Amino acid sequence: MHTTDDKPIKDQEDIHQEVDDVTQIKYFGGHEYDGIKELDNPLPPWLKYVFYVTIIISISYMILLVVFKDDGIIQKKEYSKEMVAARAKTEVESKAEEAKAATAAPLTQDQIKAAGKVVYDKICIVCHGKFGEGLVGPNFTDDYWINGGRPEDLLKIINEGVIDKGMLSYRSQLNKTQINHVIAYILSLQGTNPPNPKAQQGVKFVK
Amino acid sequence: MELQKFSYDNRMTRNFAIATIVWGVVGLAAGLLIALQIFIPSLNFGLEFTTFGRTRPVHTNAVIFAFVGNAIFTAVYYSLQRLLKTRIYSTLLSKIHFWGWQSIIVAAAVTLLAGFTTGKEYAELEWPIDIAITLIWVVFGWNMFGTILTRRTSHIYVSIWFYIATWVTIAVLHIVNSLAVPVSLFKSYTLYAGVQDALVQWWYGHNAVAFFLTTPFLGLMYYFVPKVSGRPVYSYKLSIVHFWSLIFLYIWAGPHHLLYSSLPDWLQALGTTFSVMLIAPSWGGMINGLLTLRGAWDKVRRDPILKMFVVGITAYGMSTFEGPLLSFKTVNAISHFTDWTIGHVHIGALGWNGMLTFGMIYWLIPRLYNTKLYSTKLANVHFWIATLAIVFYAIPLYIGGITQALMWKQFTPDGFLMYPNFLETVAQLIPMYMIRAFGGALYNIGFIILVYNIYKTIKAGSFVAEEEVEAPAMEVLPAGKVQSESGHRFLERKPIRFLIFATVAILIGGIVEVIPTYLIKSNIPTISSVKPYTPLELQGRDIYVKEGCYNCHSQMVRPFRSETERYGEYSKAGESVYDHPFQFGSKRTGPDLAREGVKTGKMYKPNSWHYNHFIDPQKMNEASIMPKYPWLAKKEIDIQSTPGKIHALKILGVPYPDNYELKAIDDLKAQADDIAKDLAIAGIKTDSNREIIALIAYMQRLGVDISNKPATK
Repeated sequence: MHTTDDKPIKDQEDIHQEVDDVTQIKYFGGHEYDGIKELDNPLPPWLKYVFYVTIIISISYMILLVVFKDDGIIQKKEYSKEMVAARAKTEVESKAEEAKAATAAPLTQDQIKAAGKVVYDKICIVCHGKFGEGLVGPNFTDDYWINGGRPEDLLKIINEGVIDKGMLSYRSQLNKTQINHVIAYILSLQGTNPPNPKAQQGVKFVK
Repeated sequence: MELQKFSYDNRMTRNFAIATIVWGVVGLAAGLLIALQIFIPSLNFGLEFTTFGRTRPVHTNAVIFAFVGNAIFTAVYYSLQRLLKTRIYSTLLSKIHFWGWQSIIVAAAVTLLAGFTTGKEYAELEWPIDIAITLIWVVFGWNMFGTILTRRTSHIYVSIWFYIATWVTIAVLHIVNSLAVPVSLFKSYTLYAGVQDALVQWWYGHNAVAFFLTTPFLGLMYYFVPKVSGRPVYSYKLSIVHFWSLIFLYIWAGPHHLLYSSLPDWLQALGTTFSVMLIAPSWGGMINGLLTLRGAWDKVRRDPILKMFVVGITAYGMSTFEGPLLSFKTVNAISHFTDWTIGHVHIGALGWNGMLTFGMIYWLIPRLYNTKLYSTKLANVHFWIATLAIVFYAIPLYIGGITQALMWKQFTPDGFLMYPNFLETVAQLIPMYMIRAFGGALYNIGFIILVYNIYKTIKAGSFVAEEEVEAPAMEVLPAGKVQSESGHRFLERKPIRFLIFATVAILIGGIVEVIPTYLIKSNIPTISSVKPYTPLELQGRDIYVKEGCYNCHSQMVRPFRSETERYGEYSKAGESVYDHPFQFGSKRTGPDLAREGVKTGKMYKPNSWHYNHFIDPQKMNEASIMPKYPWLAKKEIDIQSTPGKIHALKILGVPYPDNYELKAIDDLKAQADDIAKDLAIAGIKTDSNREIIALIAYMQRLGVDISNKPATK
């Protein structure tokens, strides 16, 4: 920003020569608004460099996107890559888990039920109630079942769902061990007497 | 030079200052209420009017347009006269502006609580109020430019540059974003659909932050910081560079609210890059504010007003650094839809806008009333309480936001979500919400101290309605002199030219971003299986909008494994082409609903579940923080409005068959009867004409279309 080389008007000249006595920095010529003056400081260099760097980064980013169609920037490609990587990782890790489980001591009935309860409280509770008393979904505590009450019936229901009734398939959310655990837990609820039980649904199941 | 005698009109400054305080009390109290409601859902007292979905827009609108808005006008009406050495242009226009704005605020509060909303964040007000806002904004501009054109100073000061940019940009944003086809007095459908609507809305929403919460406050800062401190502005050159770069770059950054959404990649990239480029221009403002205090730091230590300014400007620097940070896609992948964003905006709102406003009020009121501030000590107490409040407010939300995002993304070694039940991640946040509410309460207490202090000050003083002054008339310079000025000095002499340049600067970004989404088909790939909503679903969708469900639920599955595993297929641009307005949401207090209706999906629930859940969410899961909506089962669907709604949507290009208006009600009733029958099988007795039936129909439609056929690539 250059100031005029011509003869400035008189009062402008006066202010022009003034210097702020605290910082010893010149006022910028001709300025005073309701007593507010402005100093003739340049832009702080570091701020200018920050500005230049952000502009360069931005332009480079756009070039990567538009010209090179970078896989890490186009989100559809990024998503496919993430899914492929996750599948590979899961394969390795789940095998390691299985191996660990195979060598570990088998769980006691109580431990299995406890593990099942963890799953139940995360997922099943929403429709079947805190104690299995039934809400939208049927009651687990009586011995009436709509789609069968054998462990293999439950396995089928959990794996495939009963979509028309609103029961989802949980195959993609729970692993086999978790499903076995939760079946054990659900069957253990039989005969308990929770508050507000839902009315019987289905047929009486005879073991 | 001969001095002319005239006077400054202090009445409107005083009125706007008092309105700032009154609406401040309301806006902050509303904020505290919703901060409590989020972990005590029963605090709606069983009323539909006070549920979170309606009170949250009341809070945001009250704080932005009532509290900050009136603070802006206070600053403009005070500083404009003094910077231009002239009386405000028109007393009548001032009065219309003042009373018009206050009436709009009252109308806004009433209609929002009543559930009249466009469903677009920070632009929720329905079309009659939008028109009123436009008119009052014109009155404001008329008065401001009238004053500028009758000035006695030759040049216009940097504060006024910011006021001019504010005026023109808000006018453009408000008008473009509010365009809609009215259905009735309190219902309209926005002109834009789906992704285009989202783009326009966030171009607006982001720049409402830029040009309502930022630029006018920079103008305020440039006036009050040097006035209060008695120090010159640090750098005139910096003010020029940061002003123009700020207003030019800001307008482009809107798409950073839609990163990893169905918005085209190139637009997302512009959102990111322009946000990053904004760091230096924003910091230019902070530096010019803080370094103006060079040589006055001893004064800062003693004066609570300057302390407030320092914290305010520092908060501005923090949030304008954090903003670009949140615009990096890698950071945004975590932060978006969480409380991190809420923490971020409150650093700006409580710090920058709040503190600057408080400082201004403490300085201004004693001058308007020709007295001293009643108690500097109390102002000091307010300063410390408010500062502490910001810390208590923001930190828990940062912790909570990041915690929740990481929980959402956590997988087990088997490749399953670690926390498949969304509520588990919410339960973690409750203590954080409590601390946040404590911070909010502190901020309220601080403000009440201000109210008391100002009340006592006003009582002790006497109001100076007309401030007598004298100044020489504007110099008429010889033609040659004008020519010799540097470019920008010359421009400062020509406010209308200045306005035109500023308008061009702010239009470029919007034009480049918005228009191609209309002209270039590849931006929104169509999906043939996506069909318009049935009349019942449409009514349900309008109830969804009315109840403000979007305040807590998003409808945008982002392209991440953690989202597609939880919700299902990620959202495509072509899916929302009939959505007037879009309902992507900006915060997930509850789970995403974009795939809620997909029967083979992960979110599906039967009609009976939805029914019970709307009536009493805690019955379905006692940890739920969703309010109960029992009135949905009592209130009847406004069936007669259906043909009008279908007609309005047809005007907007939604392909309903010819004369479908005539058939719509029958179709609506038939679908409603089916749902009622299905509920009856599950043991729920309800009439088919209830709102809950329509809302269930809408829930069951969400995300369904795309899975009817294989998605088009």
